[in-house]
Amino acid sequence: MEGVSYQRFPRIKIREVKEDFMKFELRDTDASIANALRRIMIAEVPTIAIDLVEIEVNSTVLNDEFISHRLGLVPLTSERAMSMRFSRDCDACDGDGQCEYCSVEFYLRVKCLTDQTLDVTSKDLLSSDHTVVPVDYSDVSSGFDSNSTNKGIIIVKLRRGQELRLRAIARKGIGKDHAKWSPAATVTFMYEPEIYINEDMMETLSLQEKTELVDSSPTKVFGIDPESKQVIVVEPEAYTYDDEVLKKAEAMGKPGLVEIHAKEDSFIFTVETTGAVKASQLVLNAIEVLKQKLDAVRLSDDTVEADDQFGELGAHMRGG
Amino acid sequence: MRPRKPPHMDIKLSEDERVPWDKEFDTFPMSRNNDAMRMRYDRLRSIESRMQAVAGDLANQGESSTIYVILFLNLRILWFGKPEIFPPQKERASKTMHDALYPFECRQAKLSYTGKFFVDICFQYGDGAVIREKFNFGQFPIMLKSKLCHLRAADDSKKLIAHKEEPSEMGGYFVLKGLERVIRLIILPKRNYPMSMARNSFRDRREGYSDKAVVIRCVREDQSAVSLKLYYLNNGSARLGFWIQGREYLLPVGIILKALVDTTDHEMYVNLTCCYNEECDRVKGAVGTQLVGERAKIILDEVQALSLFTRAQCLQHIGQHFQPVMTGMQNDSYKTVADAVLRDYIFVHLDNNHDKFNLLIFMLQKLFSLIDQTSVLDNPDSLQNQEVLLPGHLITIYLKEKLQDWLLRLQRLLQEETDGENKKFELSSLADVKKTIEKHGPKQMGLAIENMLKTGRLVTQSGLDLQQRAGMTVMAERLNFLRFLSHFRAVHRGASFAGLRTTSVRKLLPESWGFLCPVHTPDGEPCGLLNHMTAACRITSYYDLKGNAKDFFKIRMSILNVLIAIGMTPSSPKLVQAGPPEVLSVLLDGRIVGSMPSDLVEKAVTHLRRLKLSSTLSIPVDLEVGYIPLSMNGAYPGLYLFTSPSRFVRPVRSISAPAEEGNDLELIGPFEQVYMEISCPDGGDGGRKNLFPATHREIHPTNILSVVGNLTPWSDHNQSPRNMYQCQMGKQTMGFSSQALNCRADQKLYHLQTPQTPIARTKAYEKYCVDDYPLGTNAIVAVLAYSGYDMEDAMVLNKSSVDRGLCHGHIYQTETIDLTEQSAKSDRAQRLFRRSNLDKSSHQLIDSDGLPYVGQRINPNEPYCTIYNEITSQTTSMKLKGSEPVVVDYVAVDVKNKTHLQKANIRFRKSRNPVIGDKFSSRHGQKGVCSQLWPDIDMPFSGVTGMRPDLIINPHAFPSRMTIAMLLESIAAKGGALHGKFVDATPFSNTMKEGESEPSSLVDELGSMLAACGFNYHGVELLYSGVYGTELTCEIFIGPVYYQRLRHMVSDKFQVRSTGTVDQVTRQPIKGRKRGGGVRFGEMERDSLLAHGAAYLLHDRLHTSSDHHIADVCSECGSVLTSSLIQPPKRAVQEMVGLPPGREPKKVTCLACRSSKGMETVAMPYVFKYLAAELAAMNIKMTLKLSKGAGA
Repeated sequence: MEGVSYQRFPRIKIREVKEDFMKFELRDTDASIANALRRIMIAEVPTIAIDLVEIEVNSTVLNDEFISHRLGLVPLTSERAMSMRFSRDCDACDGDGQCEYCSVEFYLRVKCLTDQTLDVTSKDLLSSDHTVVPVDYSDVSSGFDSNSTNKGIIIVKLRRGQELRLRAIARKGIGKDHAKWSPAATVTFMYEPEIYINEDMMETLSLQEKTELVDSSPTKVFGIDPESKQVIVVEPEAYTYDDEVLKKAEAMGKPGLVEIHAKEDSFIFTVETTGAVKASQLVLNAIEVLKQKLDAVRLSDDTVEADDQFGELGAHMRGG
Repeated sequence: MRPRKPPHMDIKLSEDERVPWDKEFDTFPMSRNNDAMRMRYDRLRSIESRMQAVAGDLANQGESSTIYVILFLNLRILWFGKPEIFPPQKERASKTMHDALYPFECRQAKLSYTGKFFVDICFQYGDGAVIREKFNFGQFPIMLKSKLCHLRAADDSKKLIAHKEEPSEMGGYFVLKGLERVIRLIILPKRNYPMSMARNSFRDRREGYSDKAVVIRCVREDQSAVSLKLYYLNNGSARLGFWIQGREYLLPVGIILKALVDTTDHEMYVNLTCCYNEECDRVKGAVGTQLVGERAKIILDEVQALSLFTRAQCLQHIGQHFQPVMTGMQNDSYKTVADAVLRDYIFVHLDNNHDKFNLLIFMLQKLFSLIDQTSVLDNPDSLQNQEVLLPGHLITIYLKEKLQDWLLRLQRLLQEETDGENKKFELSSLADVKKTIEKHGPKQMGLAIENMLKTGRLVTQSGLDLQQRAGMTVMAERLNFLRFLSHFRAVHRGASFAGLRTTSVRKLLPESWGFLCPVHTPDGEPCGLLNHMTAACRITSYYDLKGNAKDFFKIRMSILNVLIAIGMTPSSPKLVQAGPPEVLSVLLDGRIVGSMPSDLVEKAVTHLRRLKLSSTLSIPVDLEVGYIPLSMNGAYPGLYLFTSPSRFVRPVRSISAPAEEGNDLELIGPFEQVYMEISCPDGGDGGRKNLFPATHREIHPTNILSVVGNLTPWSDHNQSPRNMYQCQMGKQTMGFSSQALNCRADQKLYHLQTPQTPIARTKAYEKYCVDDYPLGTNAIVAVLAYSGYDMEDAMVLNKSSVDRGLCHGHIYQTETIDLTEQSAKSDRAQRLFRRSNLDKSSHQLIDSDGLPYVGQRINPNEPYCTIYNEITSQTTSMKLKGSEPVVVDYVAVDVKNKTHLQKANIRFRKSRNPVIGDKFSSRHGQKGVCSQLWPDIDMPFSGVTGMRPDLIINPHAFPSRMTIAMLLESIAAKGGALHGKFVDATPFSNTMKEGESEPSSLVDELGSMLAACGFNYHGVELLYSGVYGTELTCEIFIGPVYYQRLRHMVSDKFQVRSTGTVDQVTRQPIKGRKRGGGVRFGEMERDSLLAHGAAYLLHDRLHTSSDHHIADVCSECGSVLTSSLIQPPKRAVQEMVGLPPGREPKKVTCLACRSSKGMETVAMPYVFKYLAAELAAMNIKMTLKLSKGAGA
C-alpha cells in the first residue's frame, strides 16, 4: 500500500443550472464519492426550518400538533444556514436556542373576518430576519401552480371567526435529524451508459425489425436515422438500465446486437432543491460539508479525545 | 403557552357566541353533488328501513291496540289505548319551555336519546262509557333518524352539520347514556312457511316419536311469533306441539283438526288423502302414497279412542286441559279457553279457523310425504328458509310482552287492594284506581326498553319465541367508517349456534349467493356465524320504497285477484282439492289461498314477475314468488308467495320480460332464487343447460360482495382468505372515524392525520364516498430484502417519510367526570370543580375553575382537574394515568346545574406517529409490523427519478400468499400516478366488458400505461443501494400501494418492568399491563430453561427477581412460622473505645421452643412460607430439616 497513490482528481462538468435544479457530470471518481455527495446533499447540508412553535390562539379545524408539523415543513431560505450556529452548541444563548446567532423568530397572526374561506399560507409568516423567509415560489417559472395569484404554501384554511396566532422559532438543522431540514427534494445519480451498436449485425435487420428494436426501449434511447435508416443512439442518458433492448435483441436471436456498459467512474447527477438553498449552492455546500467531515476524520486520526468528538465516525475510521 | 379558552363551553357549544351555523355553511362548497349522496343512501336503504320500523310498528300497534284486554272483576275492562311517543326533549325546570334534545347533546352529556312515552289506559265500568286516561310510561329510546328523531327533518348534510352530526349521518342506532348501540340483525326461521325437519331430539319428546317433524314459525301482524311443530309418530299418527310458558304441550292432530272447524271424519279423510292419486303414483311430482290413507285412519281412530266425536267435545277437551296454564281465564268456560288456545297458539298468523284447518292439512301432507320420502328435508341452515329479526320488530314484541306483564301484575295489585285491609280503596273510584296504577310504576316501561338496548339482554318469561336472550345489541364503534357501517350490515346467525360443536351452521351455502358476502366474515370463533349482507342486499320492511306503510290486506287481496284471474281455484271451506302433481297449492304468507293446475303455475309465475316490475298495480316490488316445481323426490312442491317484512331481497336484472319503462330490476328473495335461472356474467355460462334458459342476469358479479369486501381492489386476483383478512383489517384501520370529531365525546377515537385517496380503487369506493372517511396512504413500496429488517412480515419505513407526515395519527380520549355520581357513591358530600389556592404547583396546569387549560400538555401523573369536597374541605386532583403525555383537546361542561358544575368532559389528544412496532397493512391482507425507521439516505434509490421508497417489504410475502392483486395495484397505481388519473380496480370487470372482440389482459393494460411513460412494463426499476451507491444486482418491483395503519400500536401494548408492585400475599410480581405488572414466566418457559440447563438464569427468574425472601427457621423444631422478632431491651451499651461494637444480640426467637438457639436464616421463595402458613391453617405441620452442605 505504501507509496502507491490512489489519488484521483475528479472533475465536474455542469450541464444545466436553474434556481432549484441542476444537472452535472462527475467524472474520474468512484461510486463512494458520488454516493457520499448524494447522501450529504440529502441529509447533511444544513438549512433553517421552524423547530419550535408557541401557539397563542388556535381556533382552526386543525390541531396544534398538526399546524406545528406543517409549519416545520415549510422551506425557509437558508443561505445563512452555513454560517449560523446550531442552537445546541451556541454559546450566546446557553443552548436554549433563542438568540439571533442560532435562531430566527416568526410570527403568524391571522383571523378570518369574512364569509370567504381564508387561506393561511407561508406568506403570512412574518420573519424577524429578512434573509430567512419562507421560500417564494411565485417567480419560479416552472409552471407549478401557474395561476396568477401565487400565495405560497397553504398552512390551514379559516372560516369566519377562526383565528390562528403563534410564535415560531426557526433553527438550523440537518436532514438527518428531521426531513424538514433536508434542502434536497431529489438528488440522484446514475452511471453514464456507453452504448455500442454492432453495425454489421444491425445491417442484417429489416427496417421493421429495427423499429421494433428501437421501440422496445421504454425510453427514447435509440432512433432511426431518417435518411440512412440506421439505428442510432439518440439519447444515451435516457437509458434506465432496464435491459429491455438487450432482451429484445436476444429474443430476435441476435445477442450482441447492442452492448451497453456503465462507465464505472462517471456519474450524471440530478439535483433538485426545495428552494431553501439554490441548487448550485447546495452542491457547493455539500462539498464543503464533506470537506469538514474529512478534516474531522483527519484530525481525529490519532487523538483519543477526538473519539469523543467525532464519535462513531472516528471509531469507524479506525476500523472499530 | 396559549391562554386558555373559556371552558364554559356549553354542551350547546356556545352557539350564540359564534355565527349561526347555517350562515357559516352558506358558501360551503359541497364536495359532491346530491345524486352521489342519494345513491349511497339508496344502497344502504335497509338501514333506513330498520329505523322506520321502530316508530312505525309501534304506531301500527296503536291501531290494533285493544289486544290486551283483561277481563276484570264486575266486568270492568282495562286495556291500552293509543300509545304516543314524543320527540326527545330536554329536562328543564320550567314546564312550559320545551327544548328539543339533540343526539349530539346526549353523546356529550352521556344521556339517553329518549322521548316521553304516553299510553292511554281505558276503563270501562260494566257497560258504561269508556274512560281514557293518559299515563306516563317513562322515556322511550328513539332511534336516530327515525320518524320521531329530530334529525329526520335534517335531510341534507348542511342541516346535519348544524346539528353537529356527520354530514352523511344515516342513523339507525340508539344513543343510551352517551353510547351508541345498534340492534343486531339475527337470523330467524322464515315466517309462515312450513319446513320439514329431522332432529334426533324429537325422538326424546316421548315414547313413539320419530325424528321427523314439520315446523312452522307463525308470526302475527304485531310481529310476535309462536312456533308450532307437527311431529310424526312411529305409529303413523302426528302430534302438534307448541309452547306455553316454557313448557311444550303435545296434542293429537285429530283433536285440533276437529276443534278448528265443524267437520266429519269423512271430510277429514278426504282432505288428508287428496294428495294421493292412484294414477299418479310414483310419477314426477307425486307426493302422496297409499300409506296416507292408512295414516289418516289412525289419526281419526285416535280421536275416536278419546271418545271425542264432535267439535264441541274437542273444544271441551282442549279447554279442560289448558285452563290451568291460561292465565286470567280461571273463571271462563272450557269453550272460551279452547278458543283462546286456538287463537293464541295455533297458527297465530291466520285469523280464520278454516284457513288454519287447511294449513294443518297441508302440513300433514308435507309431513307424510317427508316420511314416504317423496320429498326431502328443508335445510334450516340455508338462507332459503331464513329471514331476519329487525330492530323494530324486536322492540315491538318486547314492549308487548312487557306491557302484558305489567297489566297482569296490575290486575293482581288491584285485586289485592280490593281484598286487602285498606278499606279506603274503592274499585269504583277512578281516582283510587289511577293512584294504584301510578304506584305500579308505569315509568319502568321505558326503562325496561332502555335497559334491553343497553345490555342487549331480554328479561322475559316466554322468551319471545327467540333462540337467545342476550347479545341482542352491540356497540356501534366508530373506529372507522367501515367498522361503523359493518355493524349495520352484519347478520348474526344467533348466539345459540356459537356454542355448537358442529360446523354445518357455519358453512357457506350456495343459497346465500348474492345475499350474504362470502368474503366478509371474521375468521376464528364467529366464522360463518357473523355474516354481512352484500352491498345490494336489502331487507323488506313495513314500508315501501317511498316510505309509506304497506297495506298488507290490500296487497294480499290484489295478489289474490291476479291469481284467480290466471286460473287459481280459490280455497273455500269444504272444497276438497287434488294434490300434486296435477294441482299445486298456493300459499300466500302462510295461508292456503287456493290451488292451481300445475301446468298453469309457470305462466302464473312469469305473470306475477311481470307485474312486480311494472309497479303500476298494487303488487309490491318485493313480492317473493317462490315456486317450487314438481320434482322426483325433491323439495315439497307448491307456489309460495311472500309479502311479509324482514325478508332478504336483492335486485337482479330481468331479461325474459320485455323491459317496460326501462325498469328491469327485479327484487328477488333467497327462497325464490334457488329455483330461478340467473346468469352471472363471470365469463362462463355456469353449466346452464339449453333447456333452462336464463330468465335473469346479475347486475354485476361484485353484487355478491359486501361493502367492505367490494373495496378490495382486484379481489378476484387474490387468494380468497387474503380477502377475508382484508375485510377484518379494513375494519381495524386507523382512519377518519368521524367528520364531526370536534363535537364528539367517544371514549376513544382514532384519527389519521394525513390520509389519502387510493389511486387504484374499485367503483364501490366512489359509490359509497369512502373518500369522506379515508383509510390510508399511498406509500411507495419497494419489494426487496434490504437491511434484514424486513424479514417475517416486518417492514422498513423511511424515516424521512414519517418525518414528513406519513401515517401520522392521533388518539382522542374523553374523560367524563360526573361529580354527582361520585358523591352518590361515597359520602353524599357536595363536590365541586375548584382549584386549591394553597397548592400553587398545579396552577400552571389547572385553571381557576378546577379544569385544565385547553391546549395544555399534561404529562403522566400530573393532575388534569381538581375537585373540592365541601364536607372535608379537601381538594383532590385527578391524575393522568398511562405513560404518555397528552394534550387537552377540548373541555365541555354540563350547565344543567346552573350554580355548580357537576359534569365535565375532558378530551385528551395523544400523538401517535409511527414507531417501531406499529402495525400496517395493505388492502390485500398483507399485514406487517414496522421494524425500523430507516434513514432516507440509506434507502435504495432510483437512478432515474431519485425516488426512495416509503416502505420496504420482503418478497417472501408473496409466493405463499398469492396476493397477486397487490402486485397489480402497485403497477396500476404507478401508472395512474404517472398519468394523473385514478385506475379502476373493480374485480370481475373484465367479464363485464362487452363488444370487445379480444379481451385484453389486465397486465397488458397496466403494463402499457407504464411503458408509455418510459417505465418498465412490469413495474420493476433499477435501484441503487443507498449505502454504497452501487446498483442492486436485480431489478426491484416498486410502486405505490395503498397502506392502512392498523389501530394496534405498541404504545398501547408494550409491557416492561424491572421492579415494582408485588402481590400482597405471595410477594411475587403482579400481572397486568395497566398496573405495571410483569409478563409471566410460566411453566413452558421454565421447561425451556431447564432443557437448556440454564440453572442460574432459572434461579434468577423464579427466585431472585421474584419473591426472594430470607426466612428465619428454627432448626430445633424445623418451623418457618414460629420465629418472632424480639426487640433488644434498651440497654446502655458501654462503648469501649478502640473495640468494635459488641455483637448485636440475637433478635429472633422461636416461639415454640422459647429459645433463639437454633435460629438460622434460609433463603426461600416467600410463597413457600405462605404455603407453610396455609398448611398450618389446615392442621398440617411442615418441618424443615436444616443441614450444612449437600447430601448431609
